[in-house]
Amino acid sequence: MRSVWVAVRVIREISRDRRTLAFFFLAPLVVMTLVYYAIKDDQIVNIGVVTRGAARFFEMDFISTLEMDKDVRMISMPIPDEETDPQTLDRLIRQELATGGADGVLYMGEKMITDRFDGREGTLHLYVEGSKPIITSAVFGAIADAMDELAASLPVVIDSSCSSLCAESVNNKPMVLEKHYSYGSDDYRMVDFFLPVLPAFFVFFFTFILSTITFQRERLRGTLERLLVAPVGFYQVIAGYVMGFFTFASLQSIIVVAFILKLIQFDFTWSQTLAFSVVVLLTMLVALNLGLLASFLAHNEFQALQFIPLVILPQIFLADIIWDINGFPMFFRIIAWVLPLTHANAAARDIMIRNNPLSNSWMELLILAGFIVVIFTVMTLVAQKKDKSI
Amino acid sequence: MNAGTVSTEYILRMEDVVKTFGGFTALHQTSLTIPGRMVFGLLGPNGAGKTTLLRLVTGLISPTAGKLTLFGGLEPGASAARAMIGYMPQSLAIYPNLSVVENMLFFGRMYGMGEGALKTRIDEVLETIELSGRRDDILANLSGGMVRRALLGTTLVHKPKLLLLDEPTAGVDPVLRIKIWETLRKLCDEGTSILITTHHISEADRCDRVVFLRSGVIIGDGTPDDLTRQYQADDLEKAFVVATKEGVAT
Repeated sequence: MRSVWVAVRVIREISRDRRTLAFFFLAPLVVMTLVYYAIKDDQIVNIGVVTRGAARFFEMDFISTLEMDKDVRMISMPIPDEETDPQTLDRLIRQELATGGADGVLYMGEKMITDRFDGREGTLHLYVEGSKPIITSAVFGAIADAMDELAASLPVVIDSSCSSLCAESVNNKPMVLEKHYSYGSDDYRMVDFFLPVLPAFFVFFFTFILSTITFQRERLRGTLERLLVAPVGFYQVIAGYVMGFFTFASLQSIIVVAFILKLIQFDFTWSQTLAFSVVVLLTMLVALNLGLLASFLAHNEFQALQFIPLVILPQIFLADIIWDINGFPMFFRIIAWVLPLTHANAAARDIMIRNNPLSNSWMELLILAGFIVVIFTVMTLVAQKKDKSI
Repeated sequence: MNAGTVSTEYILRMEDVVKTFGGFTALHQTSLTIPGRMVFGLLGPNGAGKTTLLRLVTGLISPTAGKLTLFGGLEPGASAARAMIGYMPQSLAIYPNLSVVENMLFFGRMYGMGEGALKTRIDEVLETIELSGRRDDILANLSGGMVRRALLGTTLVHKPKLLLLDEPTAGVDPVLRIKIWETLRKLCDEGTSILITTHHISEADRCDRVVFLRSGVIIGDGTPDDLTRQYQADDLEKAFVVATKEGVAT
């Protein structure tokens, strides 16, 4: 019976904590929704087709076959029909990939089809952006399937192990497949894609936890109140906290970055490492301010703990760490835009994978700095309201 | 007025001060003048408004109505006023992973003390709170009584002119309670004004002047002897009981 009374007491107490109840019942639904959108479809890819010479006559065959794949979205390539110079075509195709218009482009040059009909190997050019292995592999897969499908009517055998349809092809000698990567290469691994975003994620995660809990303790213990009675400005206290955490978070950033670079075993330049560190440090400052804000919003340590999954989980799903956000509905894409790690990851990949200078990520850096200013402002307003009204 | 110069006229003056939180009035229209160099007690049950009054003096909260001035004219919350106040809350508001001396150094620096003067002052305060021998011990390794003494030490380190103590002896054993009161009396003799909240009658009896508070209203004000006589009681405890029943504001 006493156990029952304990249970009654627990139920009564929790049912009066609306925030805990909302978290308890709604959080799993939110997470399950995110998981659903993350895994419900195969990756959708944008593919363009560029044909020259005799291949032009078969362009619609390629397009309609690729379109049969529900995970392929065909795009029209903004390249003039009269342009035939291979070097100019190469540049224009890469430009389209760089702007994000296309994930992959199938290019069949002047002689490709005639070579095939004449029994020669011929060369099929496949352009990919290359920085996202999931997308790259989806593009390769879709094109291989389409070629396999077309093999009975056209001499486009992509490899010797294709389906029985290949046997009916007028030329079942596999084509030479020339892959053109804007970034990376055939050796580019999935891990190379993920590792550059991990330092920002871990620094964000641990800094957020450390600052939330530590500052919550400062408030509950009453030491913050004592500091506010002393001739110390609120901003001075916060600035002190930022500097104190900065020491540890910077050290953590250095250790994590060094470890990751060692793990990837890539030869990164010093300027690349320095640029990467700037992104990680900005991320840390966002997390630090967000942690302080969470500690002010929470009434106790238990509520402070609830902020951890609330802040971290959406970023795991939506911040482009594992899943491409483009597969999610617009609502989630908007949420993704207001998540700091989305921008930190975009900058980290731009620096580490695409080897672009820090200045190329100016927009992401500006957004991260904006996050710091906005969160700091909200935090000081919340803090002053909380600590001056009770 | 500069920090360090204290008006001898009064240390605290409240004129028709009211403090409400939402629809709840924690302190009703209260007027009170406290001269310097005395131990002034605020006696009342839990929820009487003692802590609210103390927090108004610190400047942590502002009056809803009325006027409150310190040291002959300073607003609470003004930098000069804050520099002259030492505030010891009910909770153990001190850093458990720092040593006694590290805590004192930290709070001294928060009050802008120079390093040389601070170190000399810490030695004095450590003598006063009888923790010289444990100065480098981490607080987490000290007994509850020692931590409370260290807390008092951090409150005294910048030589405050006005000491605000919110139930400083709550949960303290009788021996330590006597020691704390001896320290307070000594500080008062040296010129520090002390405003102390308590719900222990025996402690109120040690004050130079006492205010009875009930539900945010002053229902008695005077020396312990005056109040005892005023309510024709044998002692302060009985006087408080009578005042509480009568609910008469003096």
